[in-house]
Amino acid sequence: MKKTSPLQYIMIYSILLVAVAWSIYPILRVITISIRPGDNLLTESLSIIPDDWTFDNYIKLFVDHPFGTWIWNSILVTVTVVITGVALASTAGYALSRFRFPGREASLLSLLVTQMFPATMLLLPLFIMLSSLHLINTYLGLIVIYSSTALPFCVWQMKGYYDTIPYSLEEAARIDGASRFMAFYKIILPLASPALVITALFSFMSAWTEYIVAAQVLWYEEMFTLPIGLKSFQANMTTEWGLYAAGAMIVSVPAIALFLFLTKYLIGGLTLGSVKG
Amino acid sequence: MIGNIQSHLSQNLKGSMKLLLYLLVSVLMFGSLIGAEQTTLHLWHPMPAPSRAVLNDLVAEYEALHPDIRVHLLYKENEEVRMAYMSATGFTEGGPDLLYGPSDFTGALVEMDIVKPLENFFSEEELAAFDPKGLTWYQGHLYQIGDELGNHLALVYNKRLFAEVGLNRPPETLQELIEFGKKLTIDKDGDGVVDQYGLVWNFTEPFFFMPFYASYGGWVMDEDQNPTLNNDAAIDAFKFVRDMRDVHGIIPIECDYDIADSKFNTGAAAMLINGAWSWAKYMDSPHVDFGLAVLPVNEETGLFPAPMIATKGYYMNPYVSGEREKQVVELMKFLTGAHAQFEYSSRLATIPTRLEVRQLPQIAEDPVIMTSIEQVSRGKAMPISPQMRAIWDAMRPAYQNVLGGSMTPEEGAAYQQKVAVQKVAELFEGQDIDRDAVNITAILVYLAGLILVIWALYKLFVAFILPLMHGIPGVQVQESRFGVLMVAPAALFIFGVVVYPFFYNLVISFSNMGLTTVNDWQIIGLSQYGKVLTDSQFYHFFLRTIIWTVVNVALHVIIGTMLAMLLNRPLPGKGIIRVLLILPWAVPSYITALTWRGMFNIDYGAVNIILNKFFGIAPISWLIDPTNAFIATIITNVWLGIPFMMIIALGGLQSIPQELYEAASIDGASPWQQFKKITLPLLKPVMIPAITLGIVWTFNNINVVWLVSNGGQPGDQTHILVSFVYRAAFNLYRYGYAAAFSFMIFLMLALFSVKFMQKNKATETAY
Repeated sequence: MKKTSPLQYIMIYSILLVAVAWSIYPILRVITISIRPGDNLLTESLSIIPDDWTFDNYIKLFVDHPFGTWIWNSILVTVTVVITGVALASTAGYALSRFRFPGREASLLSLLVTQMFPATMLLLPLFIMLSSLHLINTYLGLIVIYSSTALPFCVWQMKGYYDTIPYSLEEAARIDGASRFMAFYKIILPLASPALVITALFSFMSAWTEYIVAAQVLWYEEMFTLPIGLKSFQANMTTEWGLYAAGAMIVSVPAIALFLFLTKYLIGGLTLGSVKG
Repeated sequence: MIGNIQSHLSQNLKGSMKLLLYLLVSVLMFGSLIGAEQTTLHLWHPMPAPSRAVLNDLVAEYEALHPDIRVHLLYKENEEVRMAYMSATGFTEGGPDLLYGPSDFTGALVEMDIVKPLENFFSEEELAAFDPKGLTWYQGHLYQIGDELGNHLALVYNKRLFAEVGLNRPPETLQELIEFGKKLTIDKDGDGVVDQYGLVWNFTEPFFFMPFYASYGGWVMDEDQNPTLNNDAAIDAFKFVRDMRDVHGIIPIECDYDIADSKFNTGAAAMLINGAWSWAKYMDSPHVDFGLAVLPVNEETGLFPAPMIATKGYYMNPYVSGEREKQVVELMKFLTGAHAQFEYSSRLATIPTRLEVRQLPQIAEDPVIMTSIEQVSRGKAMPISPQMRAIWDAMRPAYQNVLGGSMTPEEGAAYQQKVAVQKVAELFEGQDIDRDAVNITAILVYLAGLILVIWALYKLFVAFILPLMHGIPGVQVQESRFGVLMVAPAALFIFGVVVYPFFYNLVISFSNMGLTTVNDWQIIGLSQYGKVLTDSQFYHFFLRTIIWTVVNVALHVIIGTMLAMLLNRPLPGKGIIRVLLILPWAVPSYITALTWRGMFNIDYGAVNIILNKFFGIAPISWLIDPTNAFIATIITNVWLGIPFMMIIALGGLQSIPQELYEAASIDGASPWQQFKKITLPLLKPVMIPAITLGIVWTFNNINVVWLVSNGGQPGDQTHILVSFVYRAAFNLYRYGYAAAFSFMIFLMLALFSVKFMQKNKATETAY
């Protein structure tokens, strides 16, 4: 590729600068609301840090509301979901990439098909199902649902990544006497770590930020996960926007941090396999 | 009498202290025994934070009095608490013991048969202590015991701002309201932008329009619950509100609940029309010298604006029985009792339903409560029949279209009547089916289902079990078994969660399930599908969904790829730029979508301010004009979706060997030719699966549309298919129709995806 000229640099940077500004401004806006005193929503100022900024809303979250408990609950649920998601997606993706077995193509296609039904319509039957299995007010019910919402995408992208790893590596291991599973576990899995990281990230996002299912399943405030806790600041007609924004930031910060650390895995690790092949 | 109650109250308190002590001792002695016998009662409620605080205190008090009882409270928003109660009680016979809510829940709860009649639990004497308005009777039964007469709108005004312009009393006629409003609408710094409005309120919502409609002599329905929306009163009231904005300029062009609330609360508006639930907040505001007045009389008709009054109170779950039933009734009596009502009234200035409490001096002499009671006496009870829901859904689009200018008041009135009649019919559809007749359709549908299942099992056996036993040509049996074993756990998880809901919807889509047939729905065949396909709105929103999807995904891919190409080179600071560009993906979309909605506000939104400051563009009414509102939702969703495509494209670009470009350069290929001949073809196989997925996700993305347009506003014109079905069908309990509608969405998407992938050769030959 030719060397980039100074003029090109200026152009590239100015385009990127505009893109970055538009990408982060709305998020900074949430911060602004969270450190503004009271529920004052209206200001014609574009500045990010208001003159009379305060951390009151953040303090209130922890003093007046069991926000600490909610964080803990969310961590519990999310960690379980991430472990389940990684275990299931890494194995299923591998099989779909490497083996021919009956139902393989149907499985791949149905992964996509599961994404097509309007989610709003699944809520009521899901609730009926969980209720008849006595999974209301348990984390198990939540964990099962969260694990499976992220799974189709995760399996698909794991499969895509395995496709890029040469088959000869396992063959060599097999010749050396390793079993099929050992070849997968010892040789392929470590090579696929960028994709595993992404699967973990997606499982994390689906569990950490979800509130619609959680609101149906959990009836006890002390069992709430972070997003439903956050939701309880939103009352029709009387939303406490400052608290809501502060809570929103607390929900977002771990997600943002993860993205910060994992960007380098994300690029190149996120490869969606084609449905066939 | 009054003294009697007060002493009764204090005795109660003393008694409870004694009881507490006694209990402490007994708990210490028999702790384990009592602990084991504790019963937990569940109460779900939509109380805003201030009332919630009172409720918490009352419950704590009750638990101290009844150590064997634990009362568990769960807060949900109004609509959500209703929906959650319906799911839990109507579909699984579960749910809380008590539901707290406004009286307009009644009709639907009774039609769904999920609320217990209460008249047998209360003696005549007990009931006589209540204002009759505080007891909700429906079809001959008592279903709700109120603890508050509320939800009524009144005029809140800021005495300080009034004094600044020399006014010392609230307006008494609508004419005065406009006059005062003009005086109080002030451009303080002379920049042509109004800094203080005379009047603000959530005027785009029909509930907040009702008082004016009533002041011209109109009302929502007649005695037979038929909508009465097409009349001169509606036309005049439409004109009145529109003129306040367009002719007199005393209200902002764009004003939803939060803006109105925030403007008044910060002293940027002198008058506010808002409900009883909100007043406590303004009394505490440092910017407001609180005054409350009844809505001023309409001098043209001599009628007072009549706000809708709803009783707020308790409903009981019909599945509660035996000993628990007694405990629940006792709790309900406590929570609607004199002591509890006194607490609410004295702390929040609500109107108690018990006449004895209303006469206590602290309550009777409170100026806010006095005005509030006067306003209630001029109000009208909110209808409790389920038809009211259909009427709201009909009024909202018509009214908002009139305000937005796409309908004249006359057209709006005719339109809302037409839609209301249609929606009321839809609400009760399916209940006229003869239940005793032999249902041939059902038999046929079940038969078809049975054949389908047998066929599927056979196919499964041939395609799956047989090869697993005997192997498939060219593949070792062992290998395919290992493959199946590795896929099985994930498959079980996914299908365990998906299969039941999927078939449930499929069955329901052949049924007449609706408000009146939740418990005895029947298979009626394909008629729900027929209704979907003959509805012109289906095609209208289908087209819109296609535009929505194409525009969104195209912009995601184009901008995402462009950014990826800029970043795919040695560039100082690349890492940090990349991370910042990904951030929209990291923050939950329900948070950022709401932020975007705020940014689209006409006066205070960052979008207009930036356009104005840097480009000198006049303020754009993003959320009022239907086309602009749709563009606003697209902008938001484009913002959300770019990072995903950018990451995919970056990954794809990095896998393209640099040598190809070098070779092309040597051969004298221009950058454009290199892009066309190398980048595009090699990026395509990476992008196609992502685009397919992007299309599927975008097509069904209800979240962004719903949050940015506040449920399809203005006038239900910004919907895509998924949000439309949610609004028009699910909202009116048309479960069968909604399921059929959803299946149509599903089928279209499935068909499209398969075709799309075939066309783009995402299919390689399997190895």
